[in-house]
Order: sequence, then C-alpha cells, then structure tokens
Amino acid sequence: MNFNRRILGKLAIGLLGASMLGQGAAMAQDRPAPFDKPEEVEIALVRYLSTGDFFQAYLSGVEAQAKALGVNLRVLDSRQDAALQADMVDQAIALGVDGIIIQHGLTESMKAAAQRAVDAGIKVVAFDVNVENEAIPQIEQSDRDLARLALEQAIKDNGESWKAAYVYVAGIAPLDRRDETWREFKEKYPGIEEVAQFGTLDNPIANSVANQARSVLTANPDIQVVFAPYDEFAKGVKIAVDEAGMSDAIKIYSADISTADISAMREPGSAWAATAATNPAVVGEVSVRALALLLAGEDPGRSVIVPPTLITQAELNEQDIKNMEELGQKLPQFAHADVVVPDWMPLPPRD
Amino acid sequence: MGESAVFRIASLRKSFGPIQVLRGVDLELHAGEVTVLMGANGAGKSTLVKIVSGVYRLDGGSMTLAGQSFEPVTPAEAMRSGVVTVHQNINDGVVSALDVATNLTLDRLNGAGAKFFFSRRQVRREARAVAERMGLDIDLRADIVDLSLADRQMVSIARAMAHEPKVMILDEPTSSLSASEASRLFELIDRLRARGVAILYISHRMSDIRRVADRIVSLRDGAIAGLFEEKPLDYEGAVEAMLGRRIGRTSVAVKEGSRPVFAAEDLQIAPGARPFGLSLAAGEVVAVTGLVGVGKTALAETLFGIRQPLSGRMRLGGAEYRPKTPAEAIRSGVFLVAKDRADSGIVPEFNIYENMSLPFLKRLSHLGIMRRRAERRLARRQIEGLKIVCRNERDDMSMLSGGNQQKVMVARWLSYPADLLILDEPFQGVDIAARHDIAAKLRASAGERATLLFLTELDEALETADRILVMSEHTIIGEHRNADIDMDRLLAEVAGRDLAGAA
Amino acid sequence: MDATAGKDKEKSVLDGGARKTGMNMRDLAIRYGFLTLLVGLIVFFSFFTRGFASPQAAVFILQSVSITGILALGVTATLVVGGFDLSIGSIATSAMMAAAYVMVVMEQNALVAVIACLAIGAIVGLINGLIICYMRVPDLLATLGMMFLLIGLQRIPTEGRSIAAGMTLPDGSTAPGQFSASFLALGRHRFDFFLPNLVPASVVVLIVLAILIWFFLEYTRFGRMMYAVGSNARAAEFAGAPVKAYKIWAYVISGIFASIGGILLAARLGRGDIASGNNLLLDAVAAALIGFAVLGAAKPNAFGTAIGALFVGVLLQGLTMMNVPYYTQDFVKGAVLMIALMFTFALSARNAR
Repeated sequence: MNFNRRILGKLAIGLLGASMLGQGAAMAQDRPAPFDKPEEVEIALVRYLSTGDFFQAYLSGVEAQAKALGVNLRVLDSRQDAALQADMVDQAIALGVDGIIIQHGLTESMKAAAQRAVDAGIKVVAFDVNVENEAIPQIEQSDRDLARLALEQAIKDNGESWKAAYVYVAGIAPLDRRDETWREFKEKYPGIEEVAQFGTLDNPIANSVANQARSVLTANPDIQVVFAPYDEFAKGVKIAVDEAGMSDAIKIYSADISTADISAMREPGSAWAATAATNPAVVGEVSVRALALLLAGEDPGRSVIVPPTLITQAELNEQDIKNMEELGQKLPQFAHADVVVPDWMPLPPRD
Repeated sequence: MGESAVFRIASLRKSFGPIQVLRGVDLELHAGEVTVLMGANGAGKSTLVKIVSGVYRLDGGSMTLAGQSFEPVTPAEAMRSGVVTVHQNINDGVVSALDVATNLTLDRLNGAGAKFFFSRRQVRREARAVAERMGLDIDLRADIVDLSLADRQMVSIARAMAHEPKVMILDEPTSSLSASEASRLFELIDRLRARGVAILYISHRMSDIRRVADRIVSLRDGAIAGLFEEKPLDYEGAVEAMLGRRIGRTSVAVKEGSRPVFAAEDLQIAPGARPFGLSLAAGEVVAVTGLVGVGKTALAETLFGIRQPLSGRMRLGGAEYRPKTPAEAIRSGVFLVAKDRADSGIVPEFNIYENMSLPFLKRLSHLGIMRRRAERRLARRQIEGLKIVCRNERDDMSMLSGGNQQKVMVARWLSYPADLLILDEPFQGVDIAARHDIAAKLRASAGERATLLFLTELDEALETADRILVMSEHTIIGEHRNADIDMDRLLAEVAGRDLAGAA
Repeated sequence: MDATAGKDKEKSVLDGGARKTGMNMRDLAIRYGFLTLLVGLIVFFSFFTRGFASPQAAVFILQSVSITGILALGVTATLVVGGFDLSIGSIATSAMMAAAYVMVVMEQNALVAVIACLAIGAIVGLINGLIICYMRVPDLLATLGMMFLLIGLQRIPTEGRSIAAGMTLPDGSTAPGQFSASFLALGRHRFDFFLPNLVPASVVVLIVLAILIWFFLEYTRFGRMMYAVGSNARAAEFAGAPVKAYKIWAYVISGIFASIGGILLAARLGRGDIASGNNLLLDAVAAALIGFAVLGAAKPNAFGTAIGALFVGVLLQGLTMMNVPYYTQDFVKGAVLMIALMFTFALSARNAR
C-alpha cells in the first residue's frame, strides 16, 4: 500500500525547489485566507486506530494533501486508548492548532472533547466516528455502498437465487453498516438463502476464519456464494475454499483491498470474484480537504462521502494489475475521488 | 527476683492426629527473668510457642497470665492480652515495604480504635517515643529493606514492646545474627529484663544461653526433662537433659578405617570461625554432632560443592578436590543425602524408582534413552535391601511414610558405589524401626567408602558411628572413638565449654 | 518443625485410608474421564452434524489445531521445568513476518526463510532463558516483556505494513521477491493417505513434533531431568543436574516450536500479517493446561497437550458446523479449560496433597 510515498518524495523535492524560487508563495496568494500563508496554518490528526495497512494508507493520504496545501501537520496517535485520544484533543487545543481531524474513536469519549475544540474556535472534521455535533462534518467511506456494489456484482454473476454463507462479527461499526445492506438484499431477493453465518476476529484473523470456513463448507457443501465484507475474512475463506478443493463451485465477494488481496484474487482459479473498496489514501486526502474548506470559511456539508469502487477479478486480470500502485494507475476512479475539490484547492500530484 | 510466676503453664498437652507432640508440659515464667528453653528438633518447642502465641489451640492443661486464665484463639488476642512473640524468621516481624517509624507503630493501625487516616507526624512522634524507651538508635525514616538483619530484629522487638507486654517470647532470635549484632540484642534483652518483662528465650546457641539465661528449662520428647535455677547454672546438665542419656543401650562394633579417602586441612567454613582439619578413611562411619546452627549443614554443603570454603584445601583419594557444583562432587564420587528430604531430596511428581535413579540417569540410559527395565531392577533391589514398605517400585512417594521416604533417599545414593557418602540428618522425621534399618544398611555397606553423618541427636551418633566428631561455632572441637567414650567431655564439648572463655 | 513432621505422618496415614476406600471409581474417572468425553463429543457430532464423520473432517480438524498444537507442545516444555512462556504467540507471528520478509523483500529461497525463522525462535528462547535464569526475572514477566518487544519488533522493518508479494516498501519501491512455491507447499501440500491429497503438511509436522517431544520428555534422561527440575529444582540440583541449563533449553525448545508454528502460518496465509499472536498464545496455553487432565497426569505432558489441542479442535469445528455463533466459542473454550482444571486439581489424588 501507501503508493504515494515515492511521489511524495518527488513532491517534497519539488516543493523545496519551488519555495526557493519564490514561486510557491506567489501561487499561494491566489487562495483564500488562511491558505494565502499556509506555513502559518497548523492542523492535527488525532487517531484512535493506527496499526494496519488501511490506517497507514490513510495517514499517507492525509500527509500528501497537507503537503499539497503547504500546511503543518501534527499527528497524535492514541493507539486505541479512548481516554488518551480525548486528552490528545485537549492537547491539540492547547497547542493552538487551527484545525483537527478526529480519526475513529468512541462517540462517548470524543463527543465532549470535540465540543471543547469547537468552543475554542477550532475547526474540526471527523472520520468514521460520530461525535454528534452539528459543527463537525463527517467524513465517511460509505460502507453501505461498499456492500451494495459487491452484492450487485454477486447478483450479476450468479442470478437472483443462490445459497450463501455470510461472514460477520457484530459490534464493529463498519461491519454493522455493511450488515444492514446484506439484510436489505436478502429481503429484496428472497432467492438468496443464508445457510451459514460465521466469523471471528481472533488474530491472525485470516487463519481463524479459514478454520471456521473449513467446517462450514464441509457441513454445507452446496454453498455457492460467500459474502465476506472484510478482506481479512475473504482471505480466510479463500484459504478454506482452496483447501477443500471447492474453488470452482464457490464465489467470494468482499470489501476492501490490499496488494496481498490483489494477488490472492488473481491466483489461477481463484474463488475470490470481486471486492468493493474505497482507497484509504483518498479518504485521508478528502479529510484534509474538508477541513481546509471549513478553515477557508466554506461549508463542505454535514457529511462528506467518499464513493467506493468495484474491483473484479476479471478487471485485474485484463489490465494485469499486480499491486495497489498499479491499481491506482489503471483504475483512476480508485486513485482519486473528486470530492471536496473547489477551484483553489491544490491537489497532490496525479499520474 | 520475683518469686511469683507471671505466666504459668500446667500439664499442657497437644496432639496432631495420632502423634502426641506435647505430653504434659509445666512451665513458669517470672517477671524480670530470662527463662531459656532448650530442646532438640522435634522436642515440641515450636508447638509450645505456637500455642502460647495463639496460633494453635491446646488439647489439655491450662495457661494462666497474672492469675487469669489465658487461652488465646488468635495471635492478635494473645498480643492484646500481653503475650508477644518475636518469631525466628526476622522478616515475619517487620513489613519491609514500610519505614521504621511506621513499622514501630504498625499494630496501632490495625486496632479497633485506629483512625482511617493516619498522620505522618503523629506516627513519627509515637515511633520516637517507642525507640527512646527501648534505647533504639536507628533512623526512623529508613526503609526496612535498607536495615541490617540485626536492626530489623531490633525493630521487630521494639515493635512488640509497644504493647507493654508482660511476657515476651523470643524464638531463636540470634539464628541469623553475627556475634556483634547478637551482643546488641543482648543489651536490649537486659533492658527488657530491667523493665520487668518475663522473657522466654528459645535457643540452641550455648554462648547465647550463657549470656542471657537466668533459668534453663530442657524440653525432651514433649515433656520437661530438667529445670535448672541454681546459680551457677549447670549448662552441661541442661544439654544432657535435652539430648537424653541412654548410653550403653546399643553398642556398636567399632571398626577402624582402612586407607584414607578424604582429607581436609585448615578448612574455614564461616567468617571468623577457627579453621579445622578432617580426615576420613574407607570403611569407617563417622558422625559429626553438635547443636543446631553450629555449621554441620554448612560443612556438608561445602563437601558436596553447594558452597565454597572460605579457605583451606580438600583432597579426595589423593587428588585435589574442590567441587564447584553438586554435579562435580557426584562425578568425583561424593554423594550427599541432604537434610530436609521434602525440600531438597524428593521429587514429588516422581515415583519410587524415578526418585532413586535421579542422579544416575546417565549410567541408566543408552544414547540418552532411559533403560527403564534396568532402572526398575535397581530400584527393586534397593527396596529389598533397605526393607522399604511399598506395593512396588512404581508407587508414588506420597504413599510412603516418612521413614520409608527417607529410606528411598538413602537408597538413591546407595545405588552406585561412592568414595564419600555424606548424610545430613538422615534420621529426621524417621521412626525408630526405619532408623535402625538405615543405620544397619549404612554400616553393612560401609566397606570401600568413607561415610560421614551429621547428627544433632547424640543417641543417633552413638548408635551408628565408629568415630564421633563434635562441632561448635563452625569448627570441629572434639573427637571421640565410639568405644570408650568420655561422656562428660563429649557433653561439655557439645555445650561449647572449651570455647566459652574465647567467646 | 515437630508439628509439621507430625502432620506429614498424619497425612500419609489419611492418604493410605483414602486410597483403599472408593478409589476405583474415582481413579477411573480421573484416568479416562477426559478421553471418554472426547470420544463422546466425536460420537455426538457424528450423529448431529452432516459431514463430520469423514476422513476429510478428521484431517481439517487436525489442520485447524496444527499451529496452536505445535505452540502448545513447545509451551509444554517450559511448563515441565516449572516455567511459562507468554511470548510464543508473538514468536510465531514474528517468524511469520520474518519468513515473508526474507522471501519477499530479501528475495531469498524457502530454505533460507525456514532457517531464519528457526534461528529467530532459538535466539528468542535463549534470551528468555538467560533473562529468567541469570537476571532472576520471574518467567511470566520476562516472557511478557519479550511478547511486547516482539509485537513491536516485527513492525519495524516494514514500518508497520503487512508483507505481501508486490508490496510497496517504505522507500517507495516495490518489493521484488515473492513467496517461493516450495515454502507455500509447507502450508498447502497434501500427502496421499488412503485417499489422494488428504493430509496437509502442517498436520504431518504436528504429528511428527508431537511424537518427538513426547518421546523426548517420557523416554530420555533429558526429559526425565526436566520433569525433576520442574517438580523440585533443589532436589534436581542436589542430584547433579545443571538446573539452569535445563531451564534455558526448555525455553529454546519453546521458541523453536513457536517459530515452526509461525512458518506454517506464513505458508498457509501466503503473506506476513501484522498480528500479536495473542489468540495463538491463549489457545496453546489452554491446550497444554487441558492436557494436565488427560489420563490423570496432573502435570504437563506431551500426549495430554496433543489431546487437549484435539479436544478444542473437535469442539470448535463441530460447533461451527452446527452453525453456532462465533461468540459462544470462547465461552466453550473457557468452560472446557475450567472443567479440565477442576479434573486436575480437585479430583486428582496426587494433587490433593
């Protein structure tokens, strides 16, 4: 993942050269305050979750957009400590930052902290956490759309009636939202029969899910479709399907994507048919842009949704996409989202 | 001194299951006097202390404190009534995480009237009062962990004194103190005596006893065997009463050793102890006797490589011998049946044959794989030879009586021939029949090796040894051939007479 | 002194009495209770679950417990010497990351990857042992510290990314290597056994290691001495055993076994996943502790550990096949462990002492 790193490096050098020539300053003057003097703007990213490819890529997106704007970015990482995350918001307030991005967290612990930031006159946006505050726009990757895209592809591939296994663990917000869509689909298409439901978050997740899936497939050898709306689940199911020698009979539909997922989908005879994904780096960029809009006195709207992209096995094979970098290059709708892009907004370089 | 007894014990009895530990003990303690209680291992001293201090309940008899019936149910109750005990283990008497001042006033924090919050200043004020009264010269702010053992002991005694006790029991208070530390303790005891406290002082150390005793009571087999009150005190008599004197009941056909096997020169095993020599010959059984704490186990452990001598040389079979580990000692042919079999001998999860073969696994295996058949054959032979009572060699150790467990330990080290076989208190917790079996086997198999026994009980030494050595103050001070023993001299040596002047 | 001697005698008398009366039923229950329960469970699932009673099902149950089973056999070695190893889960995931790193980033072959993993396991075990024996850090704390250390360490080379073929490296370039086919075969190859392509390599590894460690602990003098060290270290030392060396070896064995588990994990997943391995640790420890109850051993033993792992596997896979929700599984695991521990500590006469 993190396919913007190399570009970032080039960009940094470019920026350095530009500022030496005094060109950067000239460009910046065309932008609304406070971005006419971006070096005086400081924003903070207050994170709840940080380990894992998704969050790495999200951070790289935030960094790229912040750099494009020329603002200072401060990253505060609470490492899944809800109380610490709230303290970090207060810390950011004390530091006198201009804007804060709250990335994940718990409503209960973040609501008051977010309100304190707003009271202090700081602009705030929140990604994937509902802080119940009118003044704070929500950045969302639409989990419902993710599930919808994957399931629509499943209908397209398999018709309207099939036997399904469903991988789900309740209590995880994005999975719960994806679950709502799954329920809607089952109602809409009564031909879909869910014969088994399983799932676990025991790590390594793929290994644990593979063990469960083996049992489920043995007990229900007539399963045609597995809906695994999280790539770790899908990976585990694929291992089990391979081990059971049922790759021809089963198709897997999932959400999210990574380089490892791409190679798993592209293995010869892979049962993993399609996945729907939002590019976490793009979500990161959009988060910063939404905050920038607020700082410039414009309104990004109550909620900012980053649309997902459907990625099928066929597409990957046709265009010979091997990793996330190539995915971004060959599927532009995945690499960029034209969300929150006013004219004055500088964007990270696209290729 | 006060003639009326402050504390009186009359025909006190206590049993554990079928074992009668105390069989009618009568004892009086007088105000302002130090009564020394002497007794060998298993005589019942600890049980007596635990009853008086409220840990155990008595089965029969009575105790009175200042004319009132005294029957504490808990240690706290005994303490409130005015009987305090300072236990052998110094660290039991202090809370090492706290400072001296808090320790000195600790018991008040727990009393019924204790306040929930305590003021540091008040604690320190009270502590200072306690310390001054006791003549204690210790920094009250120091943490207990930073104090020497002696200072901790002082704190624990001073803390006990805060209760204004009528009776104080000191259970082997000098067992881990050096001579100079002990003398500070004795000064403290003198002050307690001057304040009119009745003190029961339990000790084996003759030098301590000579220093503090006003009266001596000897306990043997759960009954009082002698009371010595007339000055000058008859120390030898007290030792004799404690150890019992049943000379001539069993006599040993004394053998002379053949070729020398082991020799030590100028061996020093404790700081300040006088160096000594030791020579052992093949075929002879030598017993080292002496009171508890005179260095018998230290010597046994030195010979077996568990600890290193401070100075001196050892030779085994003509070659230099200086084992660093038990493994080295075993390789050189020196075996040890260690004291406290439960602690340092028995492997509880192993059955009989596995316990026996433990040191000799290499000899009983082939390419690392155990030869179980050979193991079991060896064990069966040893079971027969030592008359171990069991169903078979696969029985668990827990199924065996103490005597049979000890036989297994002895059998373990008789499995293969040794040059020097050391047994440290091999008859502890062993019934008489098993003791005779073990002694007979040791003597019968003594042939080509030297056998060295460490025994506190004089009887046991007289029953088993060809030669008896007496230890005192970490050195050997006397030697006797077990044929024409001068019992008076032997007892005097055990009582440490010839060192009395020096100490 | 005198009192305890008295009590010892009293107890051995009581033991003798208890042994004679009513021992047969209880002894049978202790010895065969858990095995009976296992057989009962298999019969139950065979009747009530479609597809349970088949060679394929037997094999995948074994496969589902192969990795935790191998870890459990390793931790058994440390339990035998009276220690404990909390770091096995993170050793396994570190080995998984190392295997992926060696092949994907350093472009080495399968053999190098396997050797690197085993070396990591052995070195970590050695460090654990040295810290515990020579620095006197209590085993639980030392291995807990090692666990955290490894969870962090495995993220450092890739700056927190999982490793997969074609991944983007921290410096922006694309990783050149990939998982070698022979390495993946460790997780995916299947041996013919009556039926073609039946037994996965990981199951074979599990069985071989189980037999090895069982033989080692039960039949060699080293194993015997390790038990002696665990049961009474002082007695073992006085019998001439180099106690510290045995303890250190136990941690090395545990580390190597954990790294083998990590190799199989990497081969199965085909990538290096950032993971703490805590679930692996807990399942492995549960299997080893359940093993105490098998055949009334009341002590750590390799056969019991293998049965314990199998027991958990049968139960979890059976329940999954019956479509029981995932959250009941931890509950069931806990219940089995509690029952096993009660078997061990309340019923067993040896431990009643």
